[in-house]
Amino acid sequence: MSNEEIIHKLKPIITTYAPASAALENLNEESDFIKDLNINSANLVDIILDVEEAFGITIDNTSMEKMLTVKASIEVIKEKLSEK
Amino acid sequence: MIGNDVVDLDLAKVQSNWRRKGYLDKIFSPAEQTLIATADCADEMVWILWSMKEAAYKIDNRITSIRNFAPTNLACSLAFYNDELNGSVSIQDRLYFTKTSVLPNYVHTIATPVYNQITKISIEIYSQPNHPIDYKSLNAGCVSHHGRYLALVY
Repeated sequence: MSNEEIIHKLKPIITTYAPASAALENLNEESDFIKDLNINSANLVDIILDVEEAFGITIDNTSMEKMLTVKASIEVIKEKLSEK
Repeated sequence: MIGNDVVDLDLAKVQSNWRRKGYLDKIFSPAEQTLIATADCADEMVWILWSMKEAAYKIDNRITSIRNFAPTNLACSLAFYNDELNGSVSIQDRLYFTKTSVLPNYVHTIATPVYNQITKISIEIYSQPNHPIDYKSLNAGCVSHHGRYLALVY
């Protein structure tokens, strides 16, 4: 799965928890969930659970630690998909 | 250095479904989940523990410059004493002392790495629409904002 395909699948998940903003409209690899997208930290867990469901992967706590940006999330998703 | 975190309980109720499958496992240790399961009010206990972790993280992040999302690495312990909810959060070998206030509409925790400092922290909590116009100019030691509430500590 390419980075673009992953972002395409991530966008609706992120949109559920992020308030409407220009940063959300211009979602890209550099987007930071908290700093740019203003996502409440308690909702980061929801994003991770939704990602697990959407991609059919399990994200352990060590991998979850890094998932504060779209870029880091793509890396974790790719890693977990390759382990399937 | 001080930290603080406020949780608007009404917003938390609609914003986060902590009963969702897998949710608690990603945030809380088995010991913390036992505290939640045995609490008189599970909803309240979830946000007490969460605000403790957030308040401690805000200091730890400044001390270590580590930015991550590892809530299970922040281990809470709690003690009730004279109606006060005192506790501590340990992150590896670093320990932060906390004090939490539970009100009908919000939960607020203050944190500090120095035990004696906890009683010296002054707290100002504003609820909408009575927020200060330019709170950044007040130079608070730590700012927390959730829902209707803005909490500043000095």
